[in-house]
Amino acid sequence: MKEIIKLALAQISSKRENKKENLQKIEDLTIKAKEQGADLVIFPELSLTGYVLHDQVYELAEVIQGPSTKRIEELAKKTGMHVIFGMPELGEKTKATIFNTAVLVGPTGFIGKFRKMYLPTHSVFEEKRYFRPGYQIAAFNTAIGNIGLFICYDIFFPEICRLTRLKGAELIVCISASPAVRRSYFEILTAARALENTAFLAYVNLVGVQDGLQFWGGSRLVSPIGNLLAKARYDEEDLLICEVDYRDIRPVETFIPTLRDLRPELFDELKKHSETL
Amino acid sequence: MCAQVKLTPSVLELNLPEIEKRIGCFIKKYVENAGADGVVLGLSGGIDSGTVAALSSLSIGGARVIGLMLPEKETYNSKDVNDAKLVAEKFGLKAQVCDITPVLEGFYKTIPIFDQADKLCKGNIKARIRMIYLYYYANKLNKIVCGSSDKSETMMGYFTKWGDVAADISPIMDLYKTQVRKLAEHVGIPHELAAKPSTPALWPNQLAETELGIKFETLDLILYGLERFMATEEIAQQLKVQKILVEKVKSRWLSVEHKRRLPLTPKLEYRTVGIDFRLPRHTY
Repeated sequence: MKEIIKLALAQISSKRENKKENLQKIEDLTIKAKEQGADLVIFPELSLTGYVLHDQVYELAEVIQGPSTKRIEELAKKTGMHVIFGMPELGEKTKATIFNTAVLVGPTGFIGKFRKMYLPTHSVFEEKRYFRPGYQIAAFNTAIGNIGLFICYDIFFPEICRLTRLKGAELIVCISASPAVRRSYFEILTAARALENTAFLAYVNLVGVQDGLQFWGGSRLVSPIGNLLAKARYDEEDLLICEVDYRDIRPVETFIPTLRDLRPELFDELKKHSETL
Repeated sequence: MCAQVKLTPSVLELNLPEIEKRIGCFIKKYVENAGADGVVLGLSGGIDSGTVAALSSLSIGGARVIGLMLPEKETYNSKDVNDAKLVAEKFGLKAQVCDITPVLEGFYKTIPIFDQADKLCKGNIKARIRMIYLYYYANKLNKIVCGSSDKSETMMGYFTKWGDVAADISPIMDLYKTQVRKLAEHVGIPHELAAKPSTPALWPNQLAETELGIKFETLDLILYGLERFMATEEIAQQLKVQKILVEKVKSRWLSVEHKRRLPLTPKLEYRTVGIDFRLPRHTY
């Protein structure tokens, strides 16, 4: 496994309901990222279709591995890249059960996926109306390290990131579609999740305006000690190349040994109290 | 429910450069995505339309913004016309004047039940006629209609249904009147214009605050509290106003939701317009 890898944070504006155009953008930027030496390129939440979909999501959802995933698998094979992107996933066992999913593919093809666990349904969000939540934590051993995945609002629930880390992830990727009024929360939480788990955290947000929602961008790579290693522009498309050196984790783990100091019995308490909230 | 909210004027403070940027980006993207050649807006000489004119011009360039001045003889006010011209000149937008008096008079004559004394019904005709002019320009010149309703007026239903509120986009509808005043000065609207009393100009000497029976400084804080689910008692106590005043504002806010939505239809079929036909506004 490589000790140092290069990431490309592909902060794009997705064309709504236009998979063809979005796939083309994913392809173009993956090639561009490859040319700049990247091993992994990351696209935002629902980057295949756009975020504000409402009822159109039923027409746009695809199974994994369906035609869009297969096309990106081909791209990954052709370029030797790892690619993470977001899409509405149609479940295989029913006709209209949809998940908000992050997909990881690599030079050998499909690697894994994560189905968003916490679906915001408040304020301007209505995800529970359309999506079923996921139940599986995602951390995958790959040629470029153990990569964990989660999506946007999941970041507000530290247990998701913690479990991802406990499953072995050293680079945790959060893909997002966060509107501007929530920027400050994500700027705080991305640093916090990285630091409390002593892992790298890559956050890739959407940009553009969809039905009045302005996505703020600001994609970033945070170090295991919570430092901002790289930050993309606010509000505009960007392709940010940055570097993860996994050797940086060990000194942080000894300096802030949060994983060593975990107290399992507290999680039983957490479970008990959250059940009776 | 939100006892921690302290209703002081500071809660309405904004990061003005950030708000200007957000609204500018919103207008620009919308125009681009719609494939339009710019925006058309009604330029009354008041603060809301002046602010939207300024924001539009700063965002997409004044050459792509048309400000229509739509005076009529009953409410004609040379100060408003001059203020509108001043805004147009300062922000480099194209201003045109269309005197709507002959159209209004023609309209009044053809309505068998027209009642000259009913100033509200008559005033609403003026607002709706202005809307027709704006949409004619938009259709003809491939522009979008940019509205200038603010949040205080919208929450209170203080507008003419299908009239002044009719637009393709409303860039300042999420800002209270007192916030618009600050944004106005921030973007370069002269203080004198920004501080001018607000009027819908539906009849002579009509003033928004007089009609609403409350100063915008107080109204905005009441609405801010209601927006955050505060109880009327708590709002009244904090603002040191009578509870009945807060209750009246709340009651008016809730009773005019119909003015802010598509017409209601009975639910009869699988998916219904305005109820559960949930589609993106655009495909971009």
